[in-house]
Amino acid sequence: MRRNLTTAVVVVFVALLGMSACSNSDKVATTDGGKSATAKGSNSSENVAVDQPGVTDTKIRVGGVASVTNPLGAPAASAFDGVQAYFNMVNDAGGIYGRKLVLASKRDDKLAANDAQTQALLEEDNVFAVLPVATYLFTAAPKLVAAGIPTFGWNISSEWGGTNEEPRANLFGHSGSTQSDVLPILPYTAMETKTHTLGLLSYNGGATKICTDAATNAVDRYGKEAELKLGFADAAIPYGTTDLAVQVTRMKQAGVDIVYPCMDFQGAVTLAKELKKQQLEAVLLMPNSYNPALTTDFSDLFQGDYAFTFFAPFETTPKGKGQKEFESQMEKAGYEVNENSVVGWINAAQFFAGLEAAGPEFTQQKVVDGINKMTDFNADGLSIPIDWTVRHYSTPEFCAGVTKVDGDKFVPAFTEKGKPFICWKSDAESVKDFTNK
Amino acid sequence: MSDVLQYAVQGIPTGCVFALLAVGLVLTYKASGVFNLAFAAQAYVSAAVFYVVRKEYSWPLIPAAVLAVGIVGPLLGLLLYRVLFRHLRTANSSAKLIASLGLLVALPEIVKLFFGTGSKSNPPPLWWVDRSDQWLWPEGSRFVLDAAQIATITTAVVMMVGLTVMFRYTALGLRMRAVVESPRMVELNNVNASRVAGGAWVLSSILAGLAGVLLAPLFAALNSLDFFTLLVAALAAAVFARLVSIPLAFLGGVLLGMFQAVLAGTLPTDSILSTGLRPSLPFAVLFLLLLLRPGLAKVRDVTDPLAGVDPPPSLGTSYHATPGFTRAVRVLLVGLTLVGLYLGWSVLSPFWLGLVTTGVVLGVILLSITVMTGLGGMVSLCQPTFAAIGAFTTAQLVTHFGMSVLVAAFAGTLLAGLVGAALALPVMRLDGVYLTLATLAFALMFQSVLVPLSWVSGGVVPLAVPRPVIGPVDLSENRSFFVFVVLCALVVAGIVTAVKRGRAGLFLDALRTSEAASTSLGVDARRSRVTAFGLSAAIAGFGGSLLAMYFAAANFDQSYQFFVGLVWVVLVATMGARSVPAALVAGIVYFLMPELLSRLFEQPTTYAANHSGVLADILGHIEPSWAAGFSFILFGLGAIAYSKHPEGVIETQGVRLASFFARRRETTTAEAAVVEA
Repeated sequence: MRRNLTTAVVVVFVALLGMSACSNSDKVATTDGGKSATAKGSNSSENVAVDQPGVTDTKIRVGGVASVTNPLGAPAASAFDGVQAYFNMVNDAGGIYGRKLVLASKRDDKLAANDAQTQALLEEDNVFAVLPVATYLFTAAPKLVAAGIPTFGWNISSEWGGTNEEPRANLFGHSGSTQSDVLPILPYTAMETKTHTLGLLSYNGGATKICTDAATNAVDRYGKEAELKLGFADAAIPYGTTDLAVQVTRMKQAGVDIVYPCMDFQGAVTLAKELKKQQLEAVLLMPNSYNPALTTDFSDLFQGDYAFTFFAPFETTPKGKGQKEFESQMEKAGYEVNENSVVGWINAAQFFAGLEAAGPEFTQQKVVDGINKMTDFNADGLSIPIDWTVRHYSTPEFCAGVTKVDGDKFVPAFTEKGKPFICWKSDAESVKDFTNK
Repeated sequence: MSDVLQYAVQGIPTGCVFALLAVGLVLTYKASGVFNLAFAAQAYVSAAVFYVVRKEYSWPLIPAAVLAVGIVGPLLGLLLYRVLFRHLRTANSSAKLIASLGLLVALPEIVKLFFGTGSKSNPPPLWWVDRSDQWLWPEGSRFVLDAAQIATITTAVVMMVGLTVMFRYTALGLRMRAVVESPRMVELNNVNASRVAGGAWVLSSILAGLAGVLLAPLFAALNSLDFFTLLVAALAAAVFARLVSIPLAFLGGVLLGMFQAVLAGTLPTDSILSTGLRPSLPFAVLFLLLLLRPGLAKVRDVTDPLAGVDPPPSLGTSYHATPGFTRAVRVLLVGLTLVGLYLGWSVLSPFWLGLVTTGVVLGVILLSITVMTGLGGMVSLCQPTFAAIGAFTTAQLVTHFGMSVLVAAFAGTLLAGLVGAALALPVMRLDGVYLTLATLAFALMFQSVLVPLSWVSGGVVPLAVPRPVIGPVDLSENRSFFVFVVLCALVVAGIVTAVKRGRAGLFLDALRTSEAASTSLGVDARRSRVTAFGLSAAIAGFGGSLLAMYFAAANFDQSYQFFVGLVWVVLVATMGARSVPAALVAGIVYFLMPELLSRLFEQPTTYAANHSGVLADILGHIEPSWAAGFSFILFGLGAIAYSKHPEGVIETQGVRLASFFARRRETTTAEAAVVEA
């Protein structure tokens, strides 16, 4: 045994000496690119010569990846439908630059194969842009950044955002690529509902810290004005818990009358059941629960509670142009309307806007640059306004669409007719310094 | 009444949930000798059936409950026994555990094939009152119970009492315990052991079904992972009962729930103690119980006193192989490696190359299971944790100290090895299932306490890990990196082979066969096992670093979650836990299988889209998205192959081939002798 171990140690030691002379690559794994199209026209209404992957005389091919197979049973694949519905609308109107938009590839990352499937999109599918990326993990972000390919998706993971120095400028999340570090909607909701003591609950873990930090920052900044104080906070709830009896008891003791759960839908339901059981009359403001099941299956638990979104809620009236087009195209195609399909639609709208901005001699880089000059993209009112000159690394304005559970439906809240969003500048001095958009 | 008491009482309903599951685990173990982690999957099956017939087909409550709990549950139990566990009646507890892990992986995916993959929101309750009309008791007091909690508490108590009485005072209970001890001895007493064992599976499956239907309304939607999460939390209660005492399992569950509630109520919520301890409490308690509970260290696998009548286990390929066969296999392996390198370098598209590369890297990690399980005879469920330690160490050293990524990977390997060896010191006192549970507890503690810390994992955004540059070769190019990982895999495979053939391997072989006999001959069991643990952890750590290099980041959620470790163990055991090539093949299969199945499943869809008729209608129901689930089914059902051939698929085929050539050679020699005569 000793001889074998000695041999093994020597081999490893020699290898280590070799390694010490090595260095690290500053490149990300590269991609090969694709095919090119031939020249045809010269002005913006006709085919113009472009030499880009996935572009032919008649088509612009894009491909997406979604967590179609996921243990949560979430309809992530609906993002494909949203993109397809938007493309149907564009193609019915004649396409763009004489070409049809084609969603040529729909890949399933099966939750844990994001990198491999994205690699396949880049290397095998010959696509001009990647959309939608509706996945729970976004491990392929560095690859897409290195490839420089325009990428649009569901920005629920922090890999979408960059920094001032490295902004990840070709990644475009449906609601901007960053999350706000202040949550003014929380003190505003407290003010509107005349509640004063906040209960803040979150799972133990890194990702929820962004959520809880934004809530506590909002209380710090606007709490005095909104007469809102933090009564109880628990950031150590085990993921998957089915009982929040003690937390609710402690909130009751602390006089909590508004609760912000940085939890998934399961957590929100568990909390609402316990609030009802212990008869604690508190308003819930929920970040992740604009879910049809909330009104169809659990409306008795959530009466009078609020949920916010980063797209125009379906219940908005009168509906904006983007919303009308979305709903009519989805109905025409027979697709299900849900959060993921809205995200897909917004992604497609961003892509189309980028193509328009790039002009008939479009390239991937021109599309990226074109979008990054937009200061107020909003998918014809369906999306929150996004300033792409900065939204890769900062959030100059927080906007949200807010709904309230009323009976068995959501109804818009805190917004004006035809203006589905309530927005605050990041430097707003007062919680009342908001605008409706 | 003080607040502490109030919190403790509030923890009782959750404690009863743990108790119900712990009683189920203990019942299965007592009645069948299987530590059945697939109990959660069985619960999910009945809950899914109940959901579908009750909500989607609007069946009345009682027929729906009878179907889900009284018919589907026992039929499933009987099926599992006949197809799988009947062949493992005299196997050791680790072999049975691996089979149950296979079921845990496969069963939920089979259910989804029938019931769809969409969300099943708001599972229906097993009682008549709606949630809007909660049965609150006592209403308005500080201790409020709803209908679900009352049903859970009642069921747990009834089960505890009923099963205790059955095991202690009835002939059936006595026979069940006897069959677990020695089916042959029982049969000598004119008892049909197979029928009793089958009955035990029926009973435990009814309880699993009841638990599933009863607990499903705790969740907003039906999801198999939720049941497993609860079951894992309940493990501590089962260990508290030493897997044999039903009343203690009940008590352990209730105490755990109360303790959890008291900590939630009394610890400052923003303290490190709270954020560290509370989420990991069930696992920390499990780990401490395993180390400190008197008597557990002395528990050794119960072996059938009449096991000597069994045929001896397969002697392996090397026993049957002629020198010529061995040479041919070596040439074949070298040839396959060279062909693989050629294909990777020149033929494979970047996508397939990526899959094969990650497969080879996983193969390196799986070699750690070869060392731990194949050589050491220990089933570890924390190999992904060791891989994560390697990856995180590499990422942190590169990010914060600007270290060369290869040197950092070596440091990660070393640290993983040290952690493995340190874990071995307390854990190796345990045997069989207890040792496996200790590794599972370690993995869960790591996941819930350390991974969220930024100085460990990097926090919200995974830390970047670059590819190395070796001299003029920049491994950021995928083909170069592929060659690099193949070379790494060969080196690690060489080390494992050397250990297997060397004295360490012989010692571990001897210990696995008979610890008492080996130690009496001077084998240092402690040193051998620490070596196996440390080496295994180091290999996993090295593989974890390579994986991080490939993905350019050390991403825990993607690569190192504890659940993947369960699949890895089943896969390696199915392929052949003692075979070095089997681990490498298993790694490649793990990544290639879902993609190959995807391509296969696309064919019927394409046919259905372009044709009409009955066949097109039938094929139109097949969805390409089934591929991922189907590959998990295949991985999991490898447990059936494992139950019949514990040496693994590759080793079994190797033995067949070697025997074939050996017989042929003998025949040829005999014929030559006859001709000569």
